[in-house]
Amino acid sequence: MKRVQLEIVLGTIFVLLSAAIVIILGIREPQRLADYVLQQRARQIEFGAAVFQSNCTACHGSTAQGITGIAPSLRDEHFFTERLGEIGWGSTLEDYIVSVVTTGRQVSTRAQYVGGGTPAMPTWSEKFGGPLRDDQIRAVAAYIMNFEQYALGVLPTPVPIGPMVDESTPEGRGQALFTQAGCIACHTIQGISTASVGPALDGLANRAGSTVSGLSAEEYIHQSIVDPNAYVVTGYTPDVMPQNFSEILTEDQISDLVAFLQARTQ
Amino acid sequence: MTFINNILKRLNYTQLPARGEWKAFIFKIIDERVRIITAGLNLRELRAIMRGDPPTEKPNPRYKVITTSFVAHIRPRYYPQAATWFTHTFRLGFFVTFFFVVEIITGIVLMAYYVPYPDQAYGSILAIESNVFFGELFRDIHRLGAEAMVAFSWLHLLRTYFTGSYKGPRSFTWLTGVILLAITAWLSFTGYLLPWDQLSYWAVTVGTSITESGPIVGPTLNLVMRGAPDIGAGGLLRFYLQHVILFPLLAILFISIHYYKVSREHSISLPAVVEELELPADKKKEYNRRIDLIPDLLSHEIFLIALGTFVMLAILYFRWFHSPLETHANPQSTPLDTKAPWYFWWLQGILKIDPANILENMLNPILQPLLGLFGIEFTLELSKLLDSKFIMGLIVPPVLVVILAFLPYIDKNPSRLSSKRPFAIVWGISWIFIMLALSYMGLPEYGIETPAATRVIQDLAPEEGEGPLREIPYAELSQAQGIYTVGEDYGRDLCPNIVYQPDHDKPNDIVIGCPHLTAVFNQFSERLLVAEADGRLPNLEARIIVEQVQPGMVRVTPQVDWNDPETDEAKTYEHTYFLHENRVLGSH
Repeated sequence: MKRVQLEIVLGTIFVLLSAAIVIILGIREPQRLADYVLQQRARQIEFGAAVFQSNCTACHGSTAQGITGIAPSLRDEHFFTERLGEIGWGSTLEDYIVSVVTTGRQVSTRAQYVGGGTPAMPTWSEKFGGPLRDDQIRAVAAYIMNFEQYALGVLPTPVPIGPMVDESTPEGRGQALFTQAGCIACHTIQGISTASVGPALDGLANRAGSTVSGLSAEEYIHQSIVDPNAYVVTGYTPDVMPQNFSEILTEDQISDLVAFLQARTQ
Repeated sequence: MTFINNILKRLNYTQLPARGEWKAFIFKIIDERVRIITAGLNLRELRAIMRGDPPTEKPNPRYKVITTSFVAHIRPRYYPQAATWFTHTFRLGFFVTFFFVVEIITGIVLMAYYVPYPDQAYGSILAIESNVFFGELFRDIHRLGAEAMVAFSWLHLLRTYFTGSYKGPRSFTWLTGVILLAITAWLSFTGYLLPWDQLSYWAVTVGTSITESGPIVGPTLNLVMRGAPDIGAGGLLRFYLQHVILFPLLAILFISIHYYKVSREHSISLPAVVEELELPADKKKEYNRRIDLIPDLLSHEIFLIALGTFVMLAILYFRWFHSPLETHANPQSTPLDTKAPWYFWWLQGILKIDPANILENMLNPILQPLLGLFGIEFTLELSKLLDSKFIMGLIVPPVLVVILAFLPYIDKNPSRLSSKRPFAIVWGISWIFIMLALSYMGLPEYGIETPAATRVIQDLAPEEGEGPLREIPYAELSQAQGIYTVGEDYGRDLCPNIVYQPDHDKPNDIVIGCPHLTAVFNQFSERLLVAEADGRLPNLEARIIVEQVQPGMVRVTPQVDWNDPETDEAKTYEHTYFLHENRVLGSH
C-alpha cells in the first residue's frame, strides 16, 4: 500500500471515530449538564457553609440554630414556613435571605432581637461596605436553604460533635451548651470564645464563692444564669444578658452549665 | 429568448450554440467558472488531482494556484523529498499552526458566552460548563489546545536547534520563531486569568509582580499591566483584550512572516546528512525530488488534521485532561501553594535563586581570612546592593530570550551536522536539563517551608482541588461520624460496623467499613507522629472530627495541637471541610 493510500484509510477512520466521540458526548450532554447543575449547587452549599462559619456564627450560632436575644434561628419551621408571610415578601425565601444579608437591617422586625444602638444586622455586601461578594452571599443563602429538611422536621437534627467535648460528663455537656446556647457570643473563655460584651469567665471558680455574700459558688453561678440582673459585675450594664435562660434551658442543662463554669479554675 | 441572450452576453458569449452542442457549451461555462474559483484548476485537472494523475496541461496549472490565489500564495509549490521526512520535522510546526486554528475556532465560541468583568467572569464560566451544550467540551479543547500549542512551540524550537536549521538564510526565520514563542506564551498567560478563579488570579498576580521590582518604570509598568495596583476590573479587561484581539493579530502577522519565509524563500531545511555529505547521484536525485503541494503535501496535511482532531477528542473523551476551575478569585486570601502555569515554572525557579546570597557565601570565606591578615574586619553584604527579584526576574530572563533570539548570529559554525558541532549539541542538551531543574525549583514544594501541621493537612486536602480527604465517598463519611484521635485509633478499620453502596447503579457492589477514611486517617497519623518524633511537633494531640451538619452534608475537621518547639507556646491548627453528597456526580 502506498503511503497516501494508508493515510486516506487511517484519516477516514480518524474522522469517523472523531464523529463517533462527538455523537456519544452529544447524547450524554443533557445528563452531564443536569449533573453539573446539581454538583454546582453542592459546591455552592459547601462554600456557603464555610462563609457562614467564618462570618455568621457569632450571632446566629455555630449551626445557624440562633442565639437567644441576639439573632434568630435560621433553621426552624417558622423561618421556612411563616417568615415570608410575616414580612410580606413576594419572592422566594432564598432571595429574601440574599436581600437581608446584602443590605443588613437597621432595626429588627422582632422585639426580642432589637440591637441596642447598633444595627440589628450589619450590611454584608461589599457594595455597602461589607466584606462579602455577591457570589458569597448567594452561597450563604444556598447553605441556609439546605436546612429545609431539618427545619420541617423531616429529618432529626444532628447534634454537632464539636472539638474535645466529652458528653458523658456534666462539664462536657456544659461546654457543648456554652456554645449552643450562645454564651460564646458575649463571654470569653480561653480556647473557646473571644467576646467582650459580658465579663470574661476564666478563673470563675476562684472568685464565684466570694462575689456575693451568702451565696456559694454554685448558687451564684446558677443565679447569674437564670436571673442575670440580681448581681451585675461592676462596669457592665444590666439588661444586656437575656433574662429567659430559665425558660430555654432545662434545670439539668443549667446544672451542666454550672458544672462546666465551676471547673474554670484558671 | 432575449433574456437568456442577455445573460450569455454578460458572460461574454456572443454566439449561441447550435442544436446538439448545448451540453458541451454548458460544460464549458461551468468549467471556466470552476477555473476562476480555484484560481487555475479546471474540472479535468481537479479530477486528475483526486486520482493522483500527473498534471493535464503545460505549464503545470497546480503551480498557477500558488501565484494567483491570495489564500494559497503563502503555500510552497513543492518541498524537496528529504525535507518532508517525518523524522526530520516531526510536523511540529504544522501542529502549532493546527492548534492555533483550533484556538481561534473554540475561542470565538467561548467569547460569545464569556463576560470579562470580575463580578460575572467566574459565573459566566460556570454557565458555560453547566448551561451551554458542549460548553465544557469547547472549554476543554481550548485549554488543551493552548497548552499543546506552547508545548509544541518549544519542541519545534528544540528540533530546529538540534538539526541546525537556524543557520545561514534561515537566521531571520529563527528570530521570528522566537518572537512567536513569546507571543504564544503570552497568549496562553493572558487567557489564564480569564476564568477569574483562585488559580488564575494568583498565578497572574505572582507573574505580574515581577515587573514591580524594576527600577524607575517598574511600578508604572506594573500599573499599566494590571490597570490598578491590584488586578481588578481594569486588569481583567486589559488581559481579555490582549487575549482576544491584540495578540491573536500579532500571532497571525508573525506566523505569516515566519511561514512565508519557509514556504516561499528558503524552504524547509534538508536534513544535514543530505545537504552536507557526499551521496551517490541517484540518491541525491531522489532526495531532491519535488513533492508538490497539490496534491501530495495537501493530502498529508488533511491526514494530520484528522489525526490531531481525533487525538484531542480521544484525550478529552477518556478524561485524561480536564480544564481546572477552582473557587472564585479572592484577593484577600492567598492559597498556600500558589504556582504559575507549568510553562512559567522555570521563571518562578529562577526567582528563588538569590545571587547576592550565593556570592556572599562564596566570597566571604576567601575574603575574610585574607583581609584578616591586614587586621581588617570585613563582611561582604551584597544583598544591600543587589535586589535579587529585580536581577533574576527582570534582567536574567530577557537576557536569555535575547541570546536565544540572536543565536544564529552568535553561533558562527557553518556546519549543520551534529558530529561537527558537538559543543552546540552538548549546550542544547544541558539547557534542557537546566530548564527542567529550574522548573522543578519553581514548584511550591521546593524551597518554601510550611509548618508541619499545615503541610500535613494541606497535603490531605489542598485549599484548591481535591486531594485524598475530599475523595472519601460521602456514603462512607455520613455513617462514620465521630472523633478519631491520633495515637489511639491508628492501624485499624475506624468503623468496622458500617456498610455502604458506592454506586447506586450497582447494588451488588458493597463496601464494609470505611477504607478511604481509614487510609486518610492513617496517613494523617503517620506523618504527624514522624513530625512529633523528630521534634517539630512536641506534645502532639491531633484528631479528625467527622460530623453531619446538614441534610446531605458533613463537616470534616482535622485538628492538630502542639507546643512550639522554641517558645513552648501552645499552638493549634485546624481546617474545616464541608463535603456535600452531590459534589461529585456522573463522570466528574
